[in-house]
Amino acid sequence: MIMTDFRRGAAQALLGIAAMLTHPATAFAQQANPAAAAENAAAVGVAAPADTIPVLRAPVPPAGTLVAITNATIMTATNGTIERGTIVIRNGRIAAVGANVGVPAGARVIDGTGRWVIPGIIDAHSHSMSEAINEGTESITAQVRIQDILRQDPIGVYRQLAGGVTTLNILHGSANTIGGHNAVVKLRWGLPVDSMLFAGAPPGIKFALGENVRQTNRPFTPGQQQRYPRTRQGVEALLRDVFTRAQEYRADWQLYEQQRRGARRGQAAPIPPKRDLQLETLVEVLEGRRLVHAHSYRADEILMLLNVARDFGFRIASFQHVLEGYKVADELAAAGSGASTFADNWAFKIEAFDAIPHNMALMYERGVRVSINSDSDERARRLYQEAAKAIKYGGVPEEEALRMITLHAAWQLGIDDRVGSIEVGKDADLAIFNGHPFAPASRVEMTLIDGRVFFDRSTAPTLEDRMQRMRERTIPVAATESAR
Amino acid sequence: MRPARFLDRVPLAAVALAFVAAPAAAQQNTAATYVIRNATVFPVVGARIQNGTIVVRDGRIAAVGANVDAPAGATVIDAQGLFVYPGFIDSGTQLGLTEIGSVPGADDTREVGDIHAQNVSLTAVNPHSELIPVTRVNGVTTVITSAGGGLVSGQASLIDLAGWTPAEMGVKRQAAMVINYPAVPSGVGRFGFEFRPQRAEADLTRERDRRVREIYEVLHSARAYGDARERGATGPADHLNAALVPVVRGELPVLFDVESADQIRGALALSDTFGLKPILRGAREAWLLADTLAARDIPVIVGPTTAQPGASDPYDMIYANPGVLARAGVRIAFQTSDASNARNLPYNVALAMAYGLDPDEALRSITINPARIWGVDDQYGSIEVGKVANLVVTDGDPLDVRTKIRHVFIRGDAIPLTDRHTRLYEQFRGRPRSPTIPN
Repeated sequence: MIMTDFRRGAAQALLGIAAMLTHPATAFAQQANPAAAAENAAAVGVAAPADTIPVLRAPVPPAGTLVAITNATIMTATNGTIERGTIVIRNGRIAAVGANVGVPAGARVIDGTGRWVIPGIIDAHSHSMSEAINEGTESITAQVRIQDILRQDPIGVYRQLAGGVTTLNILHGSANTIGGHNAVVKLRWGLPVDSMLFAGAPPGIKFALGENVRQTNRPFTPGQQQRYPRTRQGVEALLRDVFTRAQEYRADWQLYEQQRRGARRGQAAPIPPKRDLQLETLVEVLEGRRLVHAHSYRADEILMLLNVARDFGFRIASFQHVLEGYKVADELAAAGSGASTFADNWAFKIEAFDAIPHNMALMYERGVRVSINSDSDERARRLYQEAAKAIKYGGVPEEEALRMITLHAAWQLGIDDRVGSIEVGKDADLAIFNGHPFAPASRVEMTLIDGRVFFDRSTAPTLEDRMQRMRERTIPVAATESAR
Repeated sequence: MRPARFLDRVPLAAVALAFVAAPAAAQQNTAATYVIRNATVFPVVGARIQNGTIVVRDGRIAAVGANVDAPAGATVIDAQGLFVYPGFIDSGTQLGLTEIGSVPGADDTREVGDIHAQNVSLTAVNPHSELIPVTRVNGVTTVITSAGGGLVSGQASLIDLAGWTPAEMGVKRQAAMVINYPAVPSGVGRFGFEFRPQRAEADLTRERDRRVREIYEVLHSARAYGDARERGATGPADHLNAALVPVVRGELPVLFDVESADQIRGALALSDTFGLKPILRGAREAWLLADTLAARDIPVIVGPTTAQPGASDPYDMIYANPGVLARAGVRIAFQTSDASNARNLPYNVALAMAYGLDPDEALRSITINPARIWGVDDQYGSIEVGKVANLVVTDGDPLDVRTKIRHVFIRGDAIPLTDRHTRLYEQFRGRPRSPTIPN
């Protein structure tokens, strides 16, 4: 009895220590993913596994869900436009798409006559579902995670669904040079926040450069401590310093691992270096296991970050806003970095005064994969109108403009194998319009995620609806009639 | 806040006459005559004209029709396959009064204090703002511009987006007195939950009521001042009161910046008390009072449609509001309430069209309707002989983002379709290819 207790106690103690040594998110992922747990136990601290997005409890609709959208104009984003086409959805994935696709028996049919279907819109820069987006006390807060504070935002999310948006890249704000971990979510309205997280999306991180980081647009309060860095040179120095420390941290842990493996029986085990969650995150960046999304405006700071990334051996997945990206489009293309920008927002800050709406076209011409984002719950509702501006300013071809709110955003987030176009095998995330999405009188009629309808205008609480109900309350004709 | 008193006595009549419309056609001494041929012309007040011709001379529309002779020596524009519309009118901007949002040095959109009846926008307009060419190249030729904030923000001016000096740009120096009708701050926060404001709701309501009373007092005082002057009272001139006299006489319209039905009702009550001539602007809840507004012939400037409704509002409320008003017979116009992106006026309208605004009404709401609202429909707002030649030539529906603008005329001058953006575009299109990342 005593022996059992002792062993149980020891086991518990070991588990406790293991729990202390692992990052909370890693622990959760391990519970969800036991295979990873075994791997991770041996590699605690060293290049700790990216805090993988926890596996969803209900990632796809229940088995047996069969949907067919028929007779619609389908803008696939990769294979042109299909007239009078049909999309068959099975278990949340696109099972078939084409002009001559049959409707399987038992399918829920959505009549797409007179409708246009596009891939669900992906917003690569969002602050939805978050109240606090800046841990603004220090300029580097790489370890802070936005998914820790995500909360339901039924109104904001619903309105984005009503604008055809299906996936968001939720980022920290731009107060910090390195703001923290991102969260990619699907707008599965009504489900718990955990069930909204995009399973398998590569982890990302928010960087920021320029005026916001330097806090130069804040009124200066005499006596209030100014936060470093206050100059663009300081931003660069800070980045180089922190990545140098990350490299040293990685080297320390690699040395420790070497020594631990090389230690002979009876020899004292080496003491592991102290864990630093911030540097761990930056090691993930160094090793390309965490995608960098960098808020930036000025051409020189874009080049600065490209140089820093090159010097430390990593790639910037996307420059965000990047309003002067057109000035350094070749450099962006050569580095393989994406650009996620505003269509025509400008002149709100000095660093936005050289912004031009032809930014998208110029970068596209030089080989950059461009997406158009919202950075605003309000703008997110009309990203389809923003995308059309790429056609107006610089003549981007129509399908490329569509990719700017679908496939290119997906690629920048590393989820383009799953979403961003209407192709067999991809998730059935779709937006259905009552006209060409770029035409002036068009609006979204229906939005689907994983083949489930999350927005349907025919049952939505519209203004017309509200007015009708108000009329019925004030003129209860039916009630008096039936009373007779 | 009382302005410094002048030693001279400002005759009341001079102030009263100052705001009468006088388009400065004389300053734009344009010798060029243009003929726009083979276009589909949308006069707005009549049926569209296929294969139409427009003659522009001396800043005016000299002729328009299907069979019009081209005068000798005119510059001919072959508009085969193109469409011509009256220049668009934005009924709410800060154009010329701001440049870069975060930079206070160029920001004239907010005065200190609450009552600025004597502040007139026009003279502060920067005719050389980079934002002006950016706006007009998309066919927005004429705008209302004004400062905001406080209670009585000052006088809005109607300007054409061309001219070497503010006076040249002015269409109506004193278009309206802008009044921000006070509101109780909403208690609903971003996530639809009630936030606890710093002060209790009762406190905020009392504050709102106090501010409303202040407006009543200011107008009462102006009325008394005007009456006294009329009876021959003498004494130092009071520019603040003098500026409000035309308002309480119903001669200078009041532009009420309002949103809620509560504010709208308050604005109408104020108007009734003082015999004001109200124009509502913003007015996202005007649909609740559509029939009243139509019956009283009160114009409503809606927009921007690029705004979020309140948490308990229908999701499409702001998009659908213009259509509801128009169907009820209200005369509507649009504002972007912007400066750097006032060019997007047509796309604001497009959002309303997608949610129920009739396409013909949509076009009227940025042409003849605002012209009527601002009292310049004898000169602006449609393509008719004698009117000022503000014209937009496009290759498609101007409310369609994909449409390209081919020509813009303001007061009969062909406006170059270049701006800061096209210049930067051309400059960097010309950057030699550079595949390496420099140090």
